Amino acid sequence: MSDKVTFTVDGKQLEGKQGQLLIEACEESGIHIPRFCWHKRLDPVGMCRMCLVEIDTPRGKALVPSCTTQITDELSVETESEVVKKAQEGVLEFLLINHPLDCPICDKAGECPLQDQTMAYGPGESRFIEEKRHFEKPIPISDIVLLDRERCILCARCTRFSEEISGDPLIEFIQRGNKTQVNTFPDEPFKSYFSGNTVQICPVGALTATSYRFKARPWDLKKVSSTCNCCSLGCSVELNVSQNKMLRILGEDNEYTNQGWLSDKGRYNFEYLHSTNRLLSIHSKENENFENINISEANEKITKKIQELGNPDIKFIIGANSTNEEYFVINKFANLLNRNEFLGKDNSNVYFADDHISNGYFGDQYENATFEDLDSSDAIVVWAEDIKDNLPVLYLRIKKAVKNGVKLVIFGHTNTALESLADLYIGSEVISNNFEIQKELSNIKELKNIINGKKVTTIIGKSTPLQQKKSLDTLIDYLQKVSDLKILNCFSKANTFGALQQIDQLKGLNEFCTEYENSKKNIVFTIGANPVNASFFGSQIKDILQEADYVISLDIFKNETTELANLILPTTAFGEKEGTITNMEMRVMKQNKILPDPGSTLSEWEYLVMIAKSLGEDINYENVSEINNELVSQYKTTVNLPTFDNLNKPSNLFGILHEKEINLNTNDVEKNNISLLMVKRLYGDSSTQINSQSISMLGSERFIELNSITLNKYGIQSNVATLTQGSASFFVNIKINNFLPDNLVIAPINRRGFEKLDPTKEFDIKETKNMKELSVN
Amino acid sequence: MRWETQRLEKAKQIIKMYPQKRSALGPLLYLAQDKDGYISNESIVEISSLVGITEVQVQSVASFYSMYKQEPTGKYLLSVCKSISCEISNSSEVIESVKEFTGLSNNETDDQNLFTYESVECIGACGGAPAVQVNYETIEGLTPDKAIDLCSWLKETEPKVIVADELQEKFGGVKSFDWAIEDNTGTSSPVPGFQTYDTLKEKK
Repeated sequence: MSDKVTFTVDGKQLEGKQGQLLIEACEESGIHIPRFCWHKRLDPVGMCRMCLVEIDTPRGKALVPSCTTQITDELSVETESEVVKKAQEGVLEFLLINHPLDCPICDKAGECPLQDQTMAYGPGESRFIEEKRHFEKPIPISDIVLLDRERCILCARCTRFSEEISGDPLIEFIQRGNKTQVNTFPDEPFKSYFSGNTVQICPVGALTATSYRFKARPWDLKKVSSTCNCCSLGCSVELNVSQNKMLRILGEDNEYTNQGWLSDKGRYNFEYLHSTNRLLSIHSKENENFENINISEANEKITKKIQELGNPDIKFIIGANSTNEEYFVINKFANLLNRNEFLGKDNSNVYFADDHISNGYFGDQYENATFEDLDSSDAIVVWAEDIKDNLPVLYLRIKKAVKNGVKLVIFGHTNTALESLADLYIGSEVISNNFEIQKELSNIKELKNIINGKKVTTIIGKSTPLQQKKSLDTLIDYLQKVSDLKILNCFSKANTFGALQQIDQLKGLNEFCTEYENSKKNIVFTIGANPVNASFFGSQIKDILQEADYVISLDIFKNETTELANLILPTTAFGEKEGTITNMEMRVMKQNKILPDPGSTLSEWEYLVMIAKSLGEDINYENVSEINNELVSQYKTTVNLPTFDNLNKPSNLFGILHEKEINLNTNDVEKNNISLLMVKRLYGDSSTQINSQSISMLGSERFIELNSITLNKYGIQSNVATLTQGSASFFVNIKINNFLPDNLVIAPINRRGFEKLDPTKEFDIKETKNMKELSVN
Repeated sequence: MRWETQRLEKAKQIIKMYPQKRSALGPLLYLAQDKDGYISNESIVEISSLVGITEVQVQSVASFYSMYKQEPTGKYLLSVCKSISCEISNSSEVIESVKEFTGLSNNETDDQNLFTYESVECIGACGGAPAVQVNYETIEGLTPDKAIDLCSWLKETEPKVIVADELQEKFGGVKSFDWAIEDNTGTSSPVPGFQTYDTLKEKK
């Protein structure tokens, strides 16, 4: 039987796929059937009855919901008959019985499916004269989401999302009949990394986000598509701006990457753009105090300093939030200084603000995977840092693939959150606390059953910077031998792959520390990087920057690193600059500018071009498209180049998959004894997050995870304790995680103060009386 | 307050009877109701950890069914049927007499916490209408007078466990089924339900 089905809608012959839902098949053929509960990324429920259509059945014509009806051959459908119209009017009249008509003060008004469809399909007036039901308006169901139960039409989109897609069903229908409401359990807030998606898919104004509430009317918003840079997944987003203020970020449904979803970090991490703490003018340190100076003074200072120091060693520490174009200019700038023999020729002087970058698996002998390969492979093998916290939407993609029958193998100990999805979780019996493989992989029968001779996609990267790469090599060798392997290199930070592609040879902060020579004259540029905070080498780098002859920081906020700079140059941020970024599939996508440059900020490349010019270098770009043009001209092929023109094509959500050679040649770390596993959490103390009011507090909890045997070893009964190491001492909450091996304690690295901890040194955990006991005694 | 060991044991027994843990939710909620006379939030937390679903999912089910009480009831929950079969067999007078005796209107509990009164939709005892349930144990073929006798007997003797058979014999009339199930320990029986008439005798 062919999988093509022919059916008739309103007298027109249409074609669809076998088993397809009627509403979807119609949509694809351009016939819109009104709906509230149906969403193409969620399982159908048929709750709202708005999509009723008339079909021919053996017993005559019948009204059926098109979201739960599959198309069959020769099915005849009426979507605009009198009966259907009456049904639609009836459904809307029912829905409006309890829905308050507070559109003038509702954030959804103007983009509200209920409002729009009432206009298009509604009865025009209601016969209902009784009192509507009332609830407290609105109640917070988490720190960032508010719920107005009066407006809710019970479509179950949010509850289905939380159960099917994100897998944290913390909201549900409570009560029944006229009393039915969506709610959380008392004292169990909707604490999900993905809660913002429910706000976006809510077809009425029932779920609203604290950051957008009462900020704008949808018809006043200026919109532009862009690509999120919170992690290296490259989610397609729509930026919403009103009066030059970013007010909202929505997920765009990009089949290839995020499929409509965003993490709350990607969605709500934007208020910092308008924070009063933003760096808006150039600061120069004179006698330990920062003074405002103008751009030509700054330029003069830099050139003078470089000339004055004679033959200084110039090093660059770069962050992950620059665009490919900016990295391209950084690379060129760094090379120019090289050629002038400020520095030996074979020495790279660009360092990525990350500890111990591993070399990854690039090059011809490895086949690069895309996210689509996750769905089409037989098995997914994960050995990487915590995916749910560092690449949240990739977690959704994995969850979806598993739901569709793809087998999942997880290697410990950082991805315990994925254990419940996994077919095979390989923990301490195979992997030591130092992430060494202790058992011949070919002897693990369960693993063999899942991967032998199968199509396998692996997500591979170091679990922690201190891990040796050796075990990853062993795993990749084995997988290549026994399976048809595709590889997703896992570097989670924003545009890491852009940096890898554009910088000739990138190194990490450990190389920076070892290659820095005190005896020389030194100039250090930090570009969008804060290596003093959130790095194992933080204190070492602090000493270096204090010692260096001149430090120039390009950043958007003052932070621990800029405090040590001699000159701070304010730069533009997400939404204020145009460019391309490369995600972890090496998909190049476009970031667009919608906000003006605030204050006297400039893009990173503008500063560098300016400095280069005054040093007499031949580097001249008028605008970012010129850089983009030159950047793509260096690719080996000429088709599908990631030019602005190509990427700006309407609905080009695919982006462009372009593999540019990546040259990484770092040394493996020496063997460490990891006792404290420092893991990066989604929310932390980054300057962008703490300056975004709505989410600033989400990364404040200090906690450690350990298994109950380890907990017993420390003799701790309560759920709070004090973690001490040297002079550092923290009051921490304890989370039991029994998938962890004995004697391994997980602590978040991006929480205030935790960067002081040394993961390889001894530490102690002591019982602390919890607050209740303290106040009683 | 956590569940006592005996109740936990029983819960684990019940969970074992189902292929999926979460399927045991219904009977576990009866266990919770047996503990406090209603489904307390503490019990919801307990059940959620026993079957591995979130608290709010348990609450969703518990609050959907009206026979899982969300607030404490009196020692005896009197549910008088008001549906069609009972109505044509004079249930309205039974309702009136119970209301009058207890002095309660619908969904009210008296000050002594002895009785909670509710009039309910069909309890499936149409064959023996009019019917009443005391703590969900069914008595059929009542008259207004017998209903008052039943209430005053409850008030005087305050029995610890309500057993349908016993009450049926004392106060009931025509009956449709043998409602008693083998495990007569009240609402905490493993699978709430009933056996058809006379099957209990055969088993004995």
